[in-house]
Amino acid sequence: MKEFNKNKPFKTPEDYFEGFNDRLMERISKEPSSIPKEDGFVVPENYFETLQESITKKLTAEETKVVTLKPYRKFYYAAASIAAVFLVIFGLQWNSVDEPTFEDLANSDIDAYFENNEFGLSMYEIGEVIPVHELEINDILENRFEENQVLDYLNENIEDYEALNLDDE
Amino acid sequence: MIAEADLVDQLKNQRTQSQAFEVLVNTYKQRLYWHIRSIVLNHDDADDVLQNTFIKVYRNIAGFKGDSKLYSWMYRIATNEALSFLKKKSKKQGISDSELQNQLLGNLEADVYFEGDEIQLKLQKAIATLPEKQKLVFNMKYFQELKYEEISDILETSVGGLKASYHLAVKKLEVILKEN
Repeated sequence: MKEFNKNKPFKTPEDYFEGFNDRLMERISKEPSSIPKEDGFVVPENYFETLQESITKKLTAEETKVVTLKPYRKFYYAAASIAAVFLVIFGLQWNSVDEPTFEDLANSDIDAYFENNEFGLSMYEIGEVIPVHELEINDILENRFEENQVLDYLNENIEDYEALNLDDE
Repeated sequence: MIAEADLVDQLKNQRTQSQAFEVLVNTYKQRLYWHIRSIVLNHDDADDVLQNTFIKVYRNIAGFKGDSKLYSWMYRIATNEALSFLKKKSKKQGISDSELQNQLLGNLEADVYFEGDEIQLKLQKAIATLPEKQKLVFNMKYFQELKYEEISDILETSVGGLKASYHLAVKKLEVILKEN
């Protein structure tokens, strides 16, 4: 800290600046605060006395339906891969199957399923197992667009439509 | 009090597991409860999360390697359980995290297990405005009186960063409380 000392005759006690932060923080913490020391939360009577019993009951009840947790990333990939395969298979058979299957599910049900089930996968991880580069835009869209519909849309929404230089093919 | 390492060994041994688990629950139930309660606010939710935390500890104790202290590990599980409980709750109700927070704060006024006065209610509302990390650090330091080193172990953040978070939180809360 000497480089800041322009007042040569003055000195500070040894290690003054090194311990300054801690002393300051200590003083701040001792200052009277307007924050109340109690948070106001209470528990029902005998709650802690009966907690052990409740946990044991829950543990015993769950014992029969235990699924060993395997924190392996590979497992998630495998699960996501299987899900992706099913999606592709159902997608391909979308119009040819008469039996009520995937088509009967409302999109909102599917969305809700993915929303409410924690897969532990980020969008990037999902992207890695779904062959996005093999998908056509019409595989994702609900309705197929005819070429003339696309051209009409561009015509109405693009200012300089002619500049796009679209040929007739 | 039984040494932590001995307790872990007993928990991993099938013969002594259930007795050791009882000791574990009795030792940590109150501390973990108040930590969870400060996050979920409501008693029933805190009870639910606390039980799930202990069940998770019981089921995963074999994988506990002792890299951190047992209680830090449990605190970490409790924190994650409480935060993901709130996430699921907001998702289930189709509302945002902050809308859920407002709903929980609104419910406090009629909560029979909240005996706070006007200032304490204001404090809870003020705490809700803090960023997640500051909120956790403030509750752990101010109400649960954990040491910075302990919080650092639990949240896996440097002591310096925690001190800064805590003092920022205190300053913000004081400003909010004085404004009202």
